[in-house]
Amino acid sequence: MAVLRTFLYLLVYPGLLFLFVYGTFCEWFDRKIYARLQNRMGPTHTGRFGLLQPVADFFKLLAKEDIVPERADKTLFSLLPVFGIAIVGAAGLLLPVWNFDLAVPGPTSFPGDIIVLLYLLSLPTLVFFLAGWASTNFFSIIGGTRVLTMLFGYEVPLFLAVLSPAVLAGSWRLAEIAAFYQARPLLVLPNLVGFVVALIAVQAKLERTPFDIPHAETEIVGGTFTEYSGKKLALFRLMIDIEMVVSAGLLATVFLGGFPGGALLGFASFVVKTLFIIFLLSLIRAMTSRIRVDQVVLFAWKYLAPLAVAQLLAVILIKGLRS
Amino acid sequence: MKVAVFMPELLRHLFRKPATVDYPFRKLEVPKDFRGTPYLRPELCIACRACERDCPAEAIEITTVDEAEKRFRMVIHNDRCVHCAQCVESCPTTPKAMQMDALFELADYDRHNLKKDWVFIRAVIKPKAAEPKPVPPQAGS
Amino acid sequence: MKFEIPIGPQHPALKEPISLRMTVEGEVIRDADIRLGYNHRGLEKLAEEKTWIQNIYLTERICGICSHSHTSCYVQGVEKLMELAPPRRGLYIRYLISELERVHSHLLWLGVAGHEAGFDSFFMYTWRDREVVMDLLEMISGNRVHYAMNAIGGVRRDLDDAQRQKILDGVAVLRKRTEYYFHIGANEPSFVGRLAGVGRLTKERAVALCAVGPTARASGVARDVRKDDPYAVYDEIDFELCTADTCDVLGRTVVRIKELMESYKIIEFIVRNLPAGEIAVRAPRKAKPNEAVSRYEAPRGENIHYIKSNGSDKPERLKVRAPTLANYPATVEMLRNGFIADIPLIFAAIDPCICCAERSVELIDARSGEERTVRMSDLRRLAAARRRASGLKGKAEWPF
Repeated sequence: MAVLRTFLYLLVYPGLLFLFVYGTFCEWFDRKIYARLQNRMGPTHTGRFGLLQPVADFFKLLAKEDIVPERADKTLFSLLPVFGIAIVGAAGLLLPVWNFDLAVPGPTSFPGDIIVLLYLLSLPTLVFFLAGWASTNFFSIIGGTRVLTMLFGYEVPLFLAVLSPAVLAGSWRLAEIAAFYQARPLLVLPNLVGFVVALIAVQAKLERTPFDIPHAETEIVGGTFTEYSGKKLALFRLMIDIEMVVSAGLLATVFLGGFPGGALLGFASFVVKTLFIIFLLSLIRAMTSRIRVDQVVLFAWKYLAPLAVAQLLAVILIKGLRS
Repeated sequence: MKVAVFMPELLRHLFRKPATVDYPFRKLEVPKDFRGTPYLRPELCIACRACERDCPAEAIEITTVDEAEKRFRMVIHNDRCVHCAQCVESCPTTPKAMQMDALFELADYDRHNLKKDWVFIRAVIKPKAAEPKPVPPQAGS
Repeated sequence: MKFEIPIGPQHPALKEPISLRMTVEGEVIRDADIRLGYNHRGLEKLAEEKTWIQNIYLTERICGICSHSHTSCYVQGVEKLMELAPPRRGLYIRYLISELERVHSHLLWLGVAGHEAGFDSFFMYTWRDREVVMDLLEMISGNRVHYAMNAIGGVRRDLDDAQRQKILDGVAVLRKRTEYYFHIGANEPSFVGRLAGVGRLTKERAVALCAVGPTARASGVARDVRKDDPYAVYDEIDFELCTADTCDVLGRTVVRIKELMESYKIIEFIVRNLPAGEIAVRAPRKAKPNEAVSRYEAPRGENIHYIKSNGSDKPERLKVRAPTLANYPATVEMLRNGFIADIPLIFAAIDPCICCAERSVELIDARSGEERTVRMSDLRRLAAARRRASGLKGKAEWPF
């Protein structure tokens, strides 16, 4: 019985099927908001309001021909998308939506799980680099090196910004951090600077404009994904969607006070808060143009990192004043 | 350095109707004198072949079916037509025998479905009443 | 360590096929080699088989965006050959369409620059406003692209008062939007960061490499056919020649936006002061033996047509020198010492209309890779000999 429950947990809710459905819903929301900001319609025809468009895209890609380049490393090339889904799926299980009661913690809530989540979110970058490297196509290699160059820029501000509320809450466990801010909602305000830094850094992690340099369509064709087609590309795109859900969930937990209210209300609050963060990410995407990779690193170290450090110092100061 | 210069405009458009139209479920109107596809009004045609001569795409073909009865056949190859309306302009009759309609959704799977033809007897030119034409200004003014 | 990477013939940055082979070292470009010919259609040969009237529509289809430039340049040349003087109203309407086409082309370019830089929202907004000018052109000429307004000796359609009012209303809307885009283009930091300092072309090099159009004007070279050699109505209209001094892609953007504002002024002048009278004079079917060169300021630069007649109803020779062809050597210069990330922007900044420029032929030996230049006279001799040997009569057979 417990085995069946675990399988359902991993595969259906909150595992792969739920992440698939919610990931495609979030992609629809992102595309619709992006289109409306640009005064156009967005997906309209597939399903009501175009809700099924990302699902249709996924199934269309599954049906296409899957070509592996001759000189590519076949095993690595084929396994990388599967690794990617596994990584973000595991990260999705750590969000404190499914651990509602601190007294009865689920198996995926433990001290230090915020560090595990951040680590799991850095792995997709490595997957992208390896995908570009394994393709042995000049455009993919350039894309792969750009992915790693960007990593040098945004990773440090992201970690500092996300860990500041954790320092204030005095815990390394996501469920406890969320509970801390639910009990003291005013303490969300000192973390606003960190929220902005984390939003921009998450935009860079998800490789969306202004940071979509690694797969810049007009410059290097497809970047890291140039040689991918068919099922593998479908899995990569699904992985990016789920990564967006997980990052939005992480930001909502740490900065917006988690998802209180038990099973049903907590789930509703999860949906509302993650959609709010995705709305902000779409707004940033619509507002800016792509910048060059050297400008990303310059921007990150000139503006983001000092702001994140300032945020951390402010948090330590407030913690000292409170005790 | 200003940030988010574009944001007010973007947010304003979030609440407006989109500028794009849900084609093909809703279509836009074409204006008057839109150059669609050419068609013949056979009762007016005098088979002078001016349109055939002037067409840049060789899209009009006039053949004699019966010399004695003065029966002609015109085929308009809409798959070659470039919709320039030179045939309408070259047509010397009043009212014009070649006209342009407003159809532009011509796509088909087979190019031979796009050809239209008419078989007709040549019209007799009625002598036009002498109408005073306005004197054109001298060339070089 | 130097790599050679191909951009094109198929590449998302290019709207048409062209092969740019770049020699790169890291992310810096050391050299570029442009290979043309993927869009060659034999238009100059085809023009010799069609009559003067049919060629109006053929030259229109050299390009889609600058279609009216080619047909106007051709018709101007033929009017010089046949020594016709079109009436002033016809000329005013012809150049009204020219300026509307310039507005359309520059708004399109702003969108394309935004898209190449990754600024998709800017792309969507400028193209939405381009619909205003396309609807105006559809109302006047009957089609959104390929306006077919020219006839030898004038224009084919007239403007009535309702249409004139609509043009003025449309231009007022566009003027406000263009000022807004100027504000965005100059102030959005991520966009300016992509455009500034990219694709430098100094004034001396621009003059030495014969750059034309906004590419040259952004380097401070004050060259515009409408001012240097005013044709038809341009010596009666008061407008400014727009230049910029920054010599980079940002300068080219600024020049094009300023040209948009000047075009609105010209359009309003033409519509308000449209003279009364006929719109065309009758043109003869045959032209006496003569030759003419006609120059025209297309949205991309100076367009030159050379036409030679031999007394029949078909031209003996039509040679087209499109502005993009003149800008290619300058592009190679601009690409040197740039970044790979800037290739699409540098190439888009000359506003390439590759199908216009497919008029030069390069011969490469497939085995040895050696390049040879063949003169046009040799090619004609070979073609004439082949035609005589094959026994084809007059018009070729349609295969369908």
